[in-house]
Amino acid sequence: MANFNIDATQQRTFQAIVIGSGMSGSWAAKELCEHGVKTLVIERGRDVKHLRDYPTTNMLPYEFEHRGQLTKQIEEENPVVSKCYAFREDAMHFFVKDKEHPYVQEKPFDWIRGYQVGGKSLLWARQVQRWSDFDFEGPARDGFAVDWPIRYKDIAPWYSHVEKFAGVSGNKDGLANLPDGEFLPGFELNIVEKYFQEQLKKYYGDSRHMILARCAHITGNLEYYKQQGRVQCQSRNLCQRGCPFGGYFSANASTLPWAEKTGNMTLRTDAVVHSIIYDEAKGKAIGVRIVDANTKQTEEYFADVIFVNAAALNTNLILLNSTSNRFPNGLGNDSELLGKYVAFHNYRAGISAEYEGYSEYTTTGGRPTSGYFPRFRNLHKQETDFLRGYAAGFSAGRYNYADQSGIGLSLKEELLNPSRYGNWSVGSHMMGETIPKETNYVTLSKDEKDAWGIPLLSVNVDYDNNDEKMVKDYQEQMTEMFEKAGFTNIRVRDDKRAPGLDIHEMGGVRMGKDPKTSLLNKDHQLHACANVYVTDGACMTSTSTQNPSLTYMAFAARAAHHAMKNQKWGKV
Amino acid sequence: MQRREALKSLAILTGGAVLIPSCNFEKEDILKAYSNLQITPTLQTLLGQIADTIIPPAQLKGASDLAVQDFILVMVNDCLDKDQQTQFVKGLQDFNAFSKKISGSAFSKLQSTEKEKVVTQGLSIGAGADENQKTIHEFLSITKRFTIQGFMMSEYIMTEVKPYSLIPGKYNGEVLISSISNLKING
Repeated sequence: MANFNIDATQQRTFQAIVIGSGMSGSWAAKELCEHGVKTLVIERGRDVKHLRDYPTTNMLPYEFEHRGQLTKQIEEENPVVSKCYAFREDAMHFFVKDKEHPYVQEKPFDWIRGYQVGGKSLLWARQVQRWSDFDFEGPARDGFAVDWPIRYKDIAPWYSHVEKFAGVSGNKDGLANLPDGEFLPGFELNIVEKYFQEQLKKYYGDSRHMILARCAHITGNLEYYKQQGRVQCQSRNLCQRGCPFGGYFSANASTLPWAEKTGNMTLRTDAVVHSIIYDEAKGKAIGVRIVDANTKQTEEYFADVIFVNAAALNTNLILLNSTSNRFPNGLGNDSELLGKYVAFHNYRAGISAEYEGYSEYTTTGGRPTSGYFPRFRNLHKQETDFLRGYAAGFSAGRYNYADQSGIGLSLKEELLNPSRYGNWSVGSHMMGETIPKETNYVTLSKDEKDAWGIPLLSVNVDYDNNDEKMVKDYQEQMTEMFEKAGFTNIRVRDDKRAPGLDIHEMGGVRMGKDPKTSLLNKDHQLHACANVYVTDGACMTSTSTQNPSLTYMAFAARAAHHAMKNQKWGKV
Repeated sequence: MQRREALKSLAILTGGAVLIPSCNFEKEDILKAYSNLQITPTLQTLLGQIADTIIPPAQLKGASDLAVQDFILVMVNDCLDKDQQTQFVKGLQDFNAFSKKISGSAFSKLQSTEKEKVVTQGLSIGAGADENQKTIHEFLSITKRFTIQGFMMSEYIMTEVKPYSLIPGKYNGEVLISSISNLKING
């Protein structure tokens, strides 16, 4: 792939093009290549090869000049990305810097991006909870957005397919609202987390649960993962640096090398997609126009099928910028809804407290996950004055610390032998469903372009009254549960963060049954341009509460198989 | 050494394809910090003595044995805002005057117990004090914070005294505190 030859149209023609090499694009590429389909993967950023391009992965704390901290200069130059918890000295090279890729904030929106091979799959929090029909049936039951054109049974086998290959650790909890999957052994909840589980059972019976969160880490079936060159997760909790063990799922460690090994994948890095080329005579998309990130030269690549997996908002941008006589307002945009009904997850609220019990216990070792509350609000029926509900993280921890009040030898002694234990700290954060609305949208800037001549994306996304009520309810309900469990010093927060920092932006190219009210059909094809598939966050009709990556991966695998069957390709 | 062990086990597990990063203390950045903050060699020595008063050498190395003063200056230069930098530099420049006022002598001439007294007194300056006093307090607070950080997160402490492991081991969520052996370090 190093010496990419662009002489002849033939050399620039593939069976399939996948735009984006991250979480969902790499899954489309893996499925296609594995079944013999000649696939071009286009990535706007640089290459990041597993192991080779993880420069900080084995660095020790003292090897970081600022011991992990950001410098003032970096903070000041990057007011947006600096807010992200993982943008620190050890992983900042995997994030887009504010200045490099500007966008327009009609309302405050923290757009966190990773422009490189593997995209944000290197940086994600690795939480993988399945959707159920409580989620897919949400819009139809509660009368918002449009009905999802699919149900759990359509996606369940693909969840299994993806979980098995990616490696998912978890327990079979038997909850209808959070279906079990193909799980490797789960990590452990600690003594206070188990205590809280019991308290919930005591006070709420079977209506509220706190379980071990399922996470994309390898904890077993090791012979199987050896084929991918991946080994058991070592609980380093340094995932955002890239994992030398391949212990968690990333495109770089898993799907991309797998696709590459087939000999069917061509990877074109440093290629900023300008638009998808629509052929009026043929009535379909025929290729992709790119601008070389370095030379700024325009090039065209051709294929029978195009997958758009540029990450939710950039997928919107590409489609909006793909104009033709047939589609003057963006590819497939007959409904005039392209870019609209954007939504996200509400992460504003949190709670922390202490527990005075189990004071003789602590924990040792590391764990790349924590506890998880599946949604319990409005689950079986509408019961509050707001729609839908929230999931929540939960964890407990015990820390020993040194008394740093003195100086001299006594301070030194105390620092090296920290003898004090506080109470157990317990905490939770909210992951609220937001309701997609026409008034939450992205558009192309009319006058501002980026360095590659592509219009800037303009973002107009905000909270609404439903979100405010949900924040309040989360705080009240969690406080009640914490009080019942005997936790003390309970403090709730609302950090008023802007949308976007959840890094779960979704929608704009939503799925639906009716071409008049949606962009994509049940198989992720544009209603009006069937050889273009969208399987990243842009396709989401509603957001529900689960961390969405697993669902995008399953969507991408499913859609890739649909395309192959449709085209009568490969060995499907 | 722990680090070498960790890298060795990595190499086995990943078929040897491991990067071994170089440990580079950015000499240029240290020099840059000196020139930006206008730290003279005399002030540098003084800062080292203050850091050593906060964490003195004994059986185990102390702050200035680990060049913690350089770390402090890099952090002040790179990670604090202008206002805090100004306070820090002014406090360092005025520190000998403060020392003379408290103990009648320049800081470097004092015995270690007297040095401790001066620093302790500076750290206990309250909000009601005048601006100069508050500057001394701010300077010492910054110095103490970065001395502790630079000492605890030094290669020496993290390899020879309390070895840090990149691989923390299997999670155990129910460990009796009494079962954890408390290594007595530093006598």
